[in-house]
Formats: sequence, structure tokens, C-alpha cells
Amino acid sequence: MTTDDIATLIGRVSLRDRAAFSALYRQTSPKLFAICVRILRDRTEAEEALQEIYIKIWQRADRFASGDTNPMSWLSAIARNHAIDHLRARKPVANTIDEAYDLADSAPDPEKTAINTAEGRRIDKCMNELEADRADAVRKAYVEGLSYQELAELFGTPLNTMRTWLRRSLLKLRECMER
Amino acid sequence: MTTQNPESGDSRRDQVIAGEYVLGVLSADDRRKVEARIVLDGAFAAMVNHWQSNLTTFDDAYEPIAPPPQVLVAVERRLFAEQARPVAAAGGFWNSLALWRVLTLASVAGLVTVATFSSGILTPVSQTKPLVAELTGDASTTINLLAQYDAANGALKITPVAAKQAEAKSLELWLIEGDNPAKSLGILPQTGEGEIIIPPELRSKFGAGVTLAVSVEPFGGSPTGTATGPVVAVGKTRLP
Repeated sequence: MTTDDIATLIGRVSLRDRAAFSALYRQTSPKLFAICVRILRDRTEAEEALQEIYIKIWQRADRFASGDTNPMSWLSAIARNHAIDHLRARKPVANTIDEAYDLADSAPDPEKTAINTAEGRRIDKCMNELEADRADAVRKAYVEGLSYQELAELFGTPLNTMRTWLRRSLLKLRECMER
Repeated sequence: MTTQNPESGDSRRDQVIAGEYVLGVLSADDRRKVEARIVLDGAFAAMVNHWQSNLTTFDDAYEPIAPPPQVLVAVERRLFAEQARPVAAAGGFWNSLALWRVLTLASVAGLVTVATFSSGILTPVSQTKPLVAELTGDASTTINLLAQYDAANGALKITPVAAKQAEAKSLELWLIEGDNPAKSLGILPQTGEGEIIIPPELRSKFGAGVTLAVSVEPFGGSPTGTATGPVVAVGKTRLP
């Protein structure tokens, strides 16, 4: 199944083609189910989440812009966002975005890094430039949906240290990807 | 969280918040705030989109697992049994299934969930067909909206079916064309059927693919001319 095939199926789903929906489900549900299982860590919840995710996919297929977006990435983002929303509702974490961010030691002018270029280094290369444990924390946050608190416990750091690690790592990644 | 000038020194912080959103480390409330901002701030939406496409490589870590067969059965039953359900008794124009299917604005939460950041392609508006928008939100329903825009006379009909807010608030409708700042289209009446006459100078901006958004504002509307409250509904216009 190529990227184009999945994009075509999503296009047909936006036209309310039920056969295309079944085919899309058959092709993509093992990946999206894996996302739910990994993040929710509960089979029953993962099955319920998968139902909701495919209902969203049916409803939002007309918003998929083929050409600018990889279709599998689009589907995975719907699944991850749903699973993470479910997780954060089940086990609330502290609000943080209205607080001060300690971003002191990041170097380059951010205005230059804010420009979106299609070119950019592979994230893997940039992850290698981070200290190993910080790269590991970034990856675990994404893949497993871990909160700052859970990451702090896992890595044995104070909560604020973990926040600073991750935020500075994000800035370093952004700078590296645009370099 | 306020909308910041992308040229300002806050853009580093914005990059980090966009990254935190995509990583998934933020709280539920913070996620809703970020999603509301994605709707209203094109530069910020681009940052989120960029992180999404950069970090999607990590998706390789998810080894596919076949879901049990009953999941697809349940999904199809929910989707297609609902579509087949007969329309409730009423008459004439308002009972047209095709009309309601495109006019239905999903139940809308206190805050918005957005799935796409892509910009729409503008297509000429037919003068004969009404333009409609499907505004979708989160699952915890606070309001339900129904709407229809008639390009012929510039009338936009909005019917808030229910609105539960702790204190008197107004719902303000915004038009967002591409990356341009949101333009206020006016305040929605909160009870009964609402209709806003779009100012003639804004009518030319109504085409398929522009974004309509509704925010909760202090009673009487935003004091600043830009959305200050949570965005409760958002959607792109399209021809039915």
C-alpha cells in the first residue's frame, strides 16, 4: 500500500465511499491500534479509542489536503491526539503554558528558525546531537504519551528539571532541523 | 495564552509550546488553548504543523497490532446506522436530508478541536447555492449550532440550539481568510434563530475554503476587536 493509495482512499472516503472506508480501515488500523495500545496501555480502552478515531476519520476526510501532508502521518496524528486527550482526561496533569518558560541557553535567533522550510535534516540526525537521556525523554514523551511528571519519575529528575530538559531539547531540535 | 507577534522574542516560546503540544506533554486545558490558538494564528499553526511533520518519524516505533474484528463492525454500525435513520417529523425545506446533512454543525464543546491546518483552495461561489460550514468541536457539548449562508442576499443564519455559560456571554463569529487576521462578522443571538447580515465589503471574501470560527466573548462582543475568549467552533466553508 503506497502513500498515494492511502491518500486516494482518504479522498474517496471524503466522498462518502463506504467500500473505500473499509479498505482504509483494513490498511491502516493495525498502525493506529498500536498507537492506542501503546499510549493508553489498556486493550479495552484502546479498542474504544480506535472506534472514535475511525469515526473522526470518516467525518474529517474532506479536510485532508493531499499533496502537503503524508496521509499516514495525518491519520497517526488523529490517533495520537485522540489517545493523548483521553489519557490527559483520565489522569489530569498540571497546566503549564501560562507559566514562565526557562529557555535561557538556546543559541540562535528564533525568528530565523520559525520559517518553515520543506528542506530540513532528518529528525534522527538531530536527535543524535542531544544528550542521550534527553533524546530518550523526547522520544518517550511522543511515543508513549508520557507526562512531565511520569518522565521525571522515569529519569529520576525533579519535575522542573525535566520540563527544562524537554523544552531546551525542543529548541535545539528546531535549530538543528533548520540548519 | 495570547496571540503573539511572530516577529517578537516570544516566538521561541511559541516554538516550544507547539512542540510540547505535538509531543503530548501538555494538560487537557492547555491542549484546548493551543488548539484555539491554532485556529486564529496562522503562524502558530504552521509551527505545530511543522513539528508534526518532523516528529512523525517517531511513528515508526509503533509496531502494527491487528485490532479485533468487532471494532470495525461497531464503527460501521455507528456511522452508517445513524445515516440511515429517518429524519424526524417536520416539513418542507427544513426537512431536507441533504440540507441538514451539510448544515449540521457538530455539537460543540467549550473549546475546539482542529484536525487540519491546511489552507483551503478558494473556488468561486455559486450565486444560487447556499454556502455552508460544518463547525466541529470537542465531545463535551455546551452548544449546538445550525447555520446557512445565502450568497444572494448576504444573510448568514445561525441557530444556537443551546448555550450553557456560567455568566452572560456573547458568541462572536469570525471570518478567517488564509493567514489573514480574523475579521469579526458580528455577535450571534443566543436564543432562537440568529441571522447576521454580512457587511457588503466582506461578502466578496465569502468563498469555499474560508474559515468561520465562533468564540465566547464578554457580553456584547470582544472589547479588543480580536477574539479574546475560547474558540468554541470552527470550520471551513464549502459548497454542499
